[in-house]
Formats: sequence, C-alpha cells, structure tokens
Amino acid sequence: MFDDLSALTGRALRKWIRNPAAVLPGFFTALFYLALFGNSFNPTSLIPSNMGGFQLTPAELLSIKSSILTQTFQGAATYISYLTAGIICLILVFNMAFGGIDLVLDRQLGFLSTLLTAPISRGSIYFSGVAQNMIKAMSLAFLTFLIAILLPDGLILGKGFGVLNFIGIFGAFALLAFGLSCVFTALALSVRAIDSLVAIVNFATFPLVFTSTALFPGAGFPSWLLAISNENPITKATDSARLLMVNGVLSSSQLSTLEWDIAYLVVFAAVMAIVGYIAARKALAPV
Amino acid sequence: MPPIIEAEHLTKFYPPKTKAVEDVSFSVDEGEVFGFLGPNGAGKTTTIKMLTTLASITSGKAKVAGFDVAHDPSAVRRSIGVVPQELTADDELKGNENLVLAAKLHHVPRSEVPGRVKDLLKLFDLEEAANRRVRTFSGGMRRRLQMAMGLVHSPKVMFLDEPTLGLDVQTRTKVWDYITRLNHDRGLTVFMTTHYLEEADGLCDRIAIIDHGAIKVSDSPAHLKEKFGGDVLSISMSGDTDLSEFLRTVPDVSDVTREGRVYKMKLPRTERALPVIIEGVTSRGLAITEISFSRPKLDDVFLEVTGRSMREDEGGGQDSWVQNLNLERQAS
Repeated sequence: MFDDLSALTGRALRKWIRNPAAVLPGFFTALFYLALFGNSFNPTSLIPSNMGGFQLTPAELLSIKSSILTQTFQGAATYISYLTAGIICLILVFNMAFGGIDLVLDRQLGFLSTLLTAPISRGSIYFSGVAQNMIKAMSLAFLTFLIAILLPDGLILGKGFGVLNFIGIFGAFALLAFGLSCVFTALALSVRAIDSLVAIVNFATFPLVFTSTALFPGAGFPSWLLAISNENPITKATDSARLLMVNGVLSSSQLSTLEWDIAYLVVFAAVMAIVGYIAARKALAPV
Repeated sequence: MPPIIEAEHLTKFYPPKTKAVEDVSFSVDEGEVFGFLGPNGAGKTTTIKMLTTLASITSGKAKVAGFDVAHDPSAVRRSIGVVPQELTADDELKGNENLVLAAKLHHVPRSEVPGRVKDLLKLFDLEEAANRRVRTFSGGMRRRLQMAMGLVHSPKVMFLDEPTLGLDVQTRTKVWDYITRLNHDRGLTVFMTTHYLEEADGLCDRIAIIDHGAIKVSDSPAHLKEKFGGDVLSISMSGDTDLSEFLRTVPDVSDVTREGRVYKMKLPRTERALPVIIEGVTSRGLAITEISFSRPKLDDVFLEVTGRSMREDEGGGQDSWVQNLNLERQAS
C-alpha cells in the first residue's frame, strides 16, 4: 500500500510543482491575508490619538494598544502575531476544502477508473488524496509563517520560543489539516461534479471559520457562539498554535490547556480518518 | 484450452428500473481478438465495466484469466490491461513518467520498470516524445501512450474500449497494426469494443453484437457475413438466351434477377458457385462478357441484427464538457 500511496502522491505533487498557476497564488494569498487582514481587522488601529479633546502622547497610545493586545489578544506583541495562527488555519481549511477538485476531475476524465482497474488498494487512492492535500497545505502554512515573521510589524515570537514550540505549532496545524483533509477527500470521491463539491464546501467552510477564533478572540463572542466555538477544531488548532507562538514558554495552566486541545485534535483527526475511510470505500466500490 | 474470458448469464440492473445488460453469455479463447459491437446504450461499456471489476454484477457469473470477477477482483486486476475510451494519461506528466506511474500502480518489479518503459516506447514509436509532457502530444500519440500504459505489466487480457475513437484514418490504421502485432507476437488476448465495423471486420477473430442489453449474434465476421449477407454476383452474357432458370438451379444461388443480358444473384460465397455457373453458360454456347461481385460488409449484418445501421448511433453517449475535453485532447 505504501508504494501505491507514494506513486499517487508523487504524481499529484509533481503536477503541483510544475504548475506555477497553482503554486504562486498560494504565496500571494498568504501575503494578502496577512497584509490585508492584519491591517484592516486590527482594532488597535481604531484608537484615536485624541480622545475627547485629550491628546495622547505616542508613548501613551502605544501603551493603550499594547494593553488591548495583552488583555484581548492573548498577550500578542502585534496584531499580526495574534492573527497569524488564525490566517494559517484559514489557509488550511480552504486548501483542504477545495483540494478535492483534482479528485473530481480525475473521476470525470477517467483517471480514477484507470486506478480502479489497477491492483492497488482503495485505501491508497483515498489516503493519497489526503496526503497530497496535506503536503500542499502544510507547505503554504510554513510559507505563511515565514511571511508573517518577515512582514513589518509582523509576527513576533514569544520569548523562549524554541524547536518544541515549532513542532507543537505545526503538529496542531497538521492534525487539523489531516482531519479536514480526510473529510473533504471522502467528499470529493463521493461527488460526481465540481459544482456539487463547491456548493457543499462553501456551505460547510464559512460557518466552520466564523464560529472559530481564527480571526476574532472568543472573549467577544456571545455565550452561544462561544459554546460552539469551543468545540470547533479550528479553534483548538488556532488557540494551540497561537499559544505557542505568542508565549515562548508556557505556564502550567497554559500547558494543560494545550494538552487538552492537542488531545482533542488527535481524536478529531482519528475519527475523521475512520469516517472518511468508510465513506471513501463506499464511494470507490463498484456500482 | 479453457476460455480466458467466460461470461455466464451476466445481468446488470441499475435501480430503479434500468436493465443495462440482461442474461449475456459468451466466452473468449486465449489469444483471440474479440470484438464487442453494438449501438450506444446497448450494454457494451457496462459489460466491460463488469469484466474489469468497475461495476458490480447483479446476477450471473464472469471469470477473467481464471479468476472470478466478483470474488477475486484483485487477481483479475493483476491479469488485465484496460485502455478506456477517455484519454487518461496525465497531461502534466511526461510520456515516460506516465508509463512509470502505470508500472508502479501495477506493481511491476522496480528493476524491470526502465526496461519495460523503454521497450514500450519503442514498440509504440514514442521514443522521441518520451521526455515531452503529454499535453504536447497529438491525439494519436496519446492513444498510443494509453495502449502502452495498458501493457506495461504484461497483462494476459487487454480490454480496449473504442481504441480508435476520434482518430484520423492514418492513425487508426497504425493502431490496428499495433493491435495485430500485439496479438500475433505476444499472443495477447484482446477484448475490444468499436464503432467502426470495418475495424472489427479486419481485426477480430470473433465478434458479438449486443443490443438492448442482450447478445444477438456471435461468430467470426466471415461466418456472420455469410449467414446474414452473402455476395452479390453480377454477370453479363454475350447472347439473349434467358439463363434465369439455369441460374436458379445452381446450389446456394438465390434472388436471381435479369435486366437484358445482365443477371444479378445472391450467393453465400462467389468462389464456390462461380465454376458451376461458368460451365453452365459455356455449355449453352454463350460467353460471359463481364463479371463482378460485391462482398457483404459487417454493416449489413449489423443492420440485419439490430434493425439500424451503426452510423445512426454515432455521436451519442457523454454529453458534457468532459467529452468535449476528451475530443479536444484526441484532436490535438
């Protein structure tokens, strides 16, 4: 099965790398998301230097902004420091969701039938879909992380940030990406038309994103939305990665929260893998 | 020698009430080229899908290369090569990369892959294009690559679904040549569907005509033409003596008509009756001034069996941008 998986994943990645139209937009999306959302959503930029006739000094203004970031944005040194984890999750979600288009095309153009008449396991077809989307999306995640660091007023990593933080951050992203990829790959193998896939994906992704803390802190959510958000895997991945980015060294309570969130993501990934595999087997069975 | 493909009472039912194939039975011997003909929607593709494990069998039984299609699909897949109607070689990969991918997916031992790829590129005259991306290939080159991909694991049986669809006459003839060579040189069993009756006539040892999900006839092209058509012989005489009565007495001759000195008649095989006719004419002091005959075509058989000609059925099938894309790929 591993040979089949690597052959199919290799094919997809080779196509991806050779197609600049598929790779470059990913780079610019990351840049635009960070630059646009990082500025337009930044609430600290709304604080006027003159409040009711009281002129704030630059130091006072900075202090107020810093205080807001610390209290509301989990101690992030800059707004982009807060936003980066959410933007990366957003990129992961959309790449996973629309990554299945290639599989629908493979079905429509007959390539999938060719695979189904080859002596390979159905699991390798499914997991190669999962793997190729994950590799593509995780590459973009890493690129976005680098762009965020290089941007002016960009991502400032917490003091004491080390290799373990990095592993934790990308581990959380990978678990989210894997879980989502399992679901969306199974969906892509089940539908016959790109239109259907796009419609379902649009229906599913926006609520997923906007009920999470990817772009906004949960503190501002009404209680019902907070309850939903707390069970959203995007929230778990975002919060875990954000915690590890913003705080280099974690306190014991932060570590405990992180452990629970990661455990949640592990269960999420495992359940999605099983559900997706069952759905994919059904979709690939002879009709 | 046992047949390499056996289908017994194959039936395929798509809910709620579409019977795509009904009680189809046939067998294909090892080393045979077997043609499966029929109008669009007759059940050809469904039958191929069942035999290649792509579709489940509602009832009946099928064996390919000795393995039960329903119970041992993996063994069947190891024994077959499938060249579908669609051009499924990956546009973004190079010619040789597509072949290597096909070899890997059919578990060809790693050490044998380069040699087989090289051999197949040579066999299908694709050596010069091996390092080019497939999107730069012409329709004929894509089809040849597709056939090479179907052969990379040295299958026992090759399924070809409309192997020359959309190709120009010259390329079509080349593909015929490849099929003949594979059959003769490698003893490959070929199961093919085609819309081109002259293709089936020239290539196939036996053909089956399927219509409305059931096989109507199955035999060698020559026997079918003999059974359903027969030659039309036309002879012109030197004198005015009426030979109609004599001609009607010649064994196998039928439908004798006369227009002046020209007689037309139907007979199963001209070469068998002609000496008798010549002898009868000369013994009556007459001479034949002109002689011609036309052989029946599979079109006549098809028309007789299905009630319509194959050409009336061309152009159906997939009606989507995917088909257009495939046609564009074939035409490029």
